[in-house]
Amino acid sequence: MSQLAESTGAQLVLDILADEGVEVVFGYPGGAIMPLYDAMFSHPIEHILTRHEAAAAFAAGGYARSSGRVGVCMATSGPGATNLVTGILDAQMDSIPMVAITGQVRSELMGTDGFQEADVTSIMGPVTKRAVCVRRVEDLERILRAAFRVARGPRPGPVLVDIPNDILKAKCPKMDHFAPHPVPIASERPHDVAIDAAIQLLRGAERPVAIVGGGARSANAVHIFREFVAMFDLPYAATINGLGCAAPGDPNFLGMLGMHGWKAANISVNNADVIFALGMRFDDRVTGKPDKFARNAKIVHADIDASEFNKIIPVEIALRGDLRATLGSLVRRAAQSQPPRFTSWAAEARALGGPLPADRAPAGAMSATSVLDAFFAVAPPDVIVATDVGQHQMWAAQRQRAIHPRNFVTSAGLGSMGFGLPAAIGAQMANADRTVVAICGDGGFQMSLPEMATLRRYDIGVKILLIDNQRLGMVRQWQELFYDKRYSHTDLSDNPDFAAIAMGYRIPAQSISDEADLPAALATFLATPGPAMLHCACYAAENVWPLIPPGATVHDAMNGSASEPEPAIA
Amino acid sequence: MQLSLVMHDWRLLERIVGLTNRLGCAYTSLSVKPSDAYYHATIDFVGPPDALRRLDAQLTRLLNDEKEMSR
Repeated sequence: MSQLAESTGAQLVLDILADEGVEVVFGYPGGAIMPLYDAMFSHPIEHILTRHEAAAAFAAGGYARSSGRVGVCMATSGPGATNLVTGILDAQMDSIPMVAITGQVRSELMGTDGFQEADVTSIMGPVTKRAVCVRRVEDLERILRAAFRVARGPRPGPVLVDIPNDILKAKCPKMDHFAPHPVPIASERPHDVAIDAAIQLLRGAERPVAIVGGGARSANAVHIFREFVAMFDLPYAATINGLGCAAPGDPNFLGMLGMHGWKAANISVNNADVIFALGMRFDDRVTGKPDKFARNAKIVHADIDASEFNKIIPVEIALRGDLRATLGSLVRRAAQSQPPRFTSWAAEARALGGPLPADRAPAGAMSATSVLDAFFAVAPPDVIVATDVGQHQMWAAQRQRAIHPRNFVTSAGLGSMGFGLPAAIGAQMANADRTVVAICGDGGFQMSLPEMATLRRYDIGVKILLIDNQRLGMVRQWQELFYDKRYSHTDLSDNPDFAAIAMGYRIPAQSISDEADLPAALATFLATPGPAMLHCACYAAENVWPLIPPGATVHDAMNGSASEPEPAIA
Repeated sequence: MQLSLVMHDWRLLERIVGLTNRLGCAYTSLSVKPSDAYYHATIDFVGPPDALRRLDAQLTRLLNDEKEMSR
C-alpha cells in the first residue's frame, strides 16, 4: 500500500468494506460507533437503517442467503451488540457468510463497566466462527480482511469485529490501494480413492437415495447436483436448506425430508440401502431418533466440515471437500464406465408419495394452506420467499416451488421468530429486480413489525403475506397433540388490526378472511408497486401434517387423524 | 485425550473450555506457555468417546479459523 494522506480507523473500515465488494450494510447507530457513522455520511456504501439491531442482523442474513455474498451488519456497543446475537447465531447455524461490526467503548473504559460496555467478544465467541476486538489501528485492515475470508469459508459463517471508539477515531495512513489479498482458502476435494469407493457403493445399491442440504447452496453446487442425480436417475430428498436444488419439475425429487417432510421422501430415505448425504448435517428435525434413522443404509456423507462426519449418524464413507468439487469428481469418475441407473427404484419411491395430508378449515373459515397453495400457484417462478418461523414456515416449505435454494430464505437451524420480514428486506436489497415475498405468521411478524418503517423509508418492494391464525400456531399444535390441549399462552386472539398498522406506515394493505377473495387479492398484492401487505385471517386450529413427533421415526408419522378442532376463535 | 494446541490468541481458551463443557466433557489439566507470537497449550480431556471425538473435530475447526484470522 502506498500512503497518501491521513485517514481514520472509521474511514479505513469503510474503504475495506468497499474493496471487499460490500455495497450495502444494515445497521443502527449509537454512541461508541458514531465515528463510523460519521464517516459513512459521505461514503458511497449504502446503509439501511433498520428499526432494531436484531433486524439488521437478520437482514444481513437474508442478503447473504439470497445472493451468496457476505452480509454485513453493524451496531453500537453494549445493547446494540447484544441485540445482534440472535441474527448472528442464525447465520452460524445455517452457515451463512456474515461480517458483523460493533462499536466498543473507548479502550481505557473497557473493563470498567462503562456506559454501554459489554464483553462483546466473549458473548459472541460461541455464536461466531471468530469474534475479535481490534486493539490497535495498525491491525484493523488485517483483521477485517481475515474476517471476510473466514466468513466466506470454506464453510461460511459469521465473524464479529469489535472496534473501540478510539480505534475508529485514530489517525492512520490513507491508502490509495490496498495490500494484495491473501490467497483465498483453496477448495478441497476428496481423494479419488474415496470417490471411487462411493461410486462402488452406489453400483451395488438397490434402493439408493440422495439427500441434499444447504451445502449445495453454499458451494454453488446446484447445477452439478442436478447433473449428479440425473446421471443415475437417482431419487432424492432435500433438507429445508436444500429446497430449490431440484431441477424444476424433476419427478425424482421426493420432497422435503424430516419432521414435516413428504411421505415419499421420509419413507424412501428410511428404506434406502445407500444414502448420499450431500452438504447436510443430520439435524434432529431431519433424522428423528438417530439410532432408528435409515438403519439399513450405508451412508456416504459429503461435507466441507470434517467435524460433521459421524456427529449424529455413523457414515460408511466420508467425502471431505467442497461439494461442487466432490460432485464433479463423482460425476467424472462414474462416467468412466457405464453409470448405474435406478429408474425402476425411482418410480417405486415416487409412488410412495401422495398429496399432503391437510386439515383445511371448516366452512366459512379460511385455511392457511389454501392461502399458500393459491399464492404459490400465481407467484412468479423466480420469486424469492422469505419465511418467518412456525406453522406457516413448514406449510410454505412443503409447498414452495423454488427454482434455486437462494430463492427460499428461511431460518432453518435456529428457527428464529422475527426473521421473515427483515430477511426479506435483505433479500430485496440483493435482488432489486425480483419479487420478494415475506411469508409471516402473526406471532413472528409482531417481533419485527417496525421494519415496515424500513420498507417505507427506502421504498423496498417486499410483499408481506401475513398468515394470521391468531395463535402461536406451532406451539398451539404441540399443546393440542402432546400437552393435553392445555393452551398455555399461545392465544393471540387480541391481535391488532394489521392492515391498519401497515397503512399507518403508508404501506398499501388488504385484509381478507374468505377464500373466495384470494385470487383477486393475490393479484392486487403481487401487482402493487413497492411494499404491500396481504393480511389473511385464517382458521386457528389448522395443523401442519404430516408430523413425526420429536424423537420418533417415520413409522410414527401423524397425518391429522389425532387433530380435533378447538372451539371457534372469539 | 491429550491435545497440544497452538494458538495466536490465548483468549481462544475461553471458547475451548466452553465447548468442552457443552459437549459433556471436562479437562483434567491445562497448561499454556507463550512462545514468540504463539501460545502452546496442552490439555487433557476426559469424557465419553463419542463426545471426545466430536470435541477433537470441533477444536480442529476452531483452530483453523483462528489461524486464518491471524494470517
